[in-house]
Amino acid sequence: MLNEFWLWLEYLPIAGHIGATWWFPLMESLHVVSITLMLGAILMLDLRVLGLAASGYTVSRMSRELVPWSAAAFVVATLTGTAMFITRASAHVLNPAFQIKMLLILVAGINIAIFHFRIFRTVSHWDISTKAPASARMVAGASLFLWCGAMLAGRWVGHVI
Amino acid sequence: MLSGIATWISDSQGRELANWLLTNVPGLPPILQTLHLLSIAAIMGSIVMVDLRVLGLAVPSQNLDEMVRRLRAWAWCGVAGVASSGIWFVLARPNRYFANPVFQIKFSLLIPALIVTALFYRQTLREPGYWYRSARRERVAKILALVSLLLWLGVVMAGRWIAYSEYLFWPE
Repeated sequence: MLNEFWLWLEYLPIAGHIGATWWFPLMESLHVVSITLMLGAILMLDLRVLGLAASGYTVSRMSRELVPWSAAAFVVATLTGTAMFITRASAHVLNPAFQIKMLLILVAGINIAIFHFRIFRTVSHWDISTKAPASARMVAGASLFLWCGAMLAGRWVGHVI
Repeated sequence: MLSGIATWISDSQGRELANWLLTNVPGLPPILQTLHLLSIAAIMGSIVMVDLRVLGLAVPSQNLDEMVRRLRAWAWCGVAGVASSGIWFVLARPNRYFANPVFQIKFSLLIPALIVTALFYRQTLREPGYWYRSARRERVAKILALVSLLLWLGVVMAGRWIAYSEYLFWPE
């Protein structure tokens, strides 16, 4: 049944239109702009939490100013990514690179939730410090690792099909 | 001139080496492309963020002079990163790139982008608060930031369109 759903997506007129016209490269280039902007913002925040950069600013201020940018970029990346996905949905779901990419994004999302809903609660104790608690530094390191991995897997998607 | 460069690369050993590496090292093309993307992310987190800061759109609490001093190294490492990861593809198939109109557009945007960024950083570091001494300078800074932003986004988007130049230049 799920298989029929992927095929149904592929046969949507909009999917055919994106796949056959300049819409596809437009979506792809906007995807590149949004994922790199997102990672640029995430990189700045993670390096601050790790105590490696921007030590003149508090973690909470960096988070307040950067998270809206990475969240907005993530929304654009998801929309443009979905637009590309539906053009070959049934092939993508079977593509191991695509499966790994989705898994990495899911784990990265859980990682973000752990940071913002648990670790960030105690931020007032280490806001100005360059030595955040080990748990915070672990989450920041994992975030960098997971997003770089998602990018590599995403780039690999195009080399499998 | 461009086809001359392409021919010169075609006949060089660099082309053979790049071709050999890209075909024989497992996974090298996507790995290099990912390094290219990560370097673009470094440019987005430094050059583009500074542009957004000057335009008053992002990181309002960060001081411009301090930002440029802190992020300059990231910006130029990002530029070195995109160059060193991208050059292999150009070396391996010089004619595919030099004859491609989108590749030409990409580099026509990249050169002014680099110049605007370098000049803006130089002026910023020369004198603290330089861009905020008068309303006129502040306007100039905003214009430069907007030009830089549009050029860099154009470079990134053109880069992705290289593979699809037929949609733009030879439709149907």
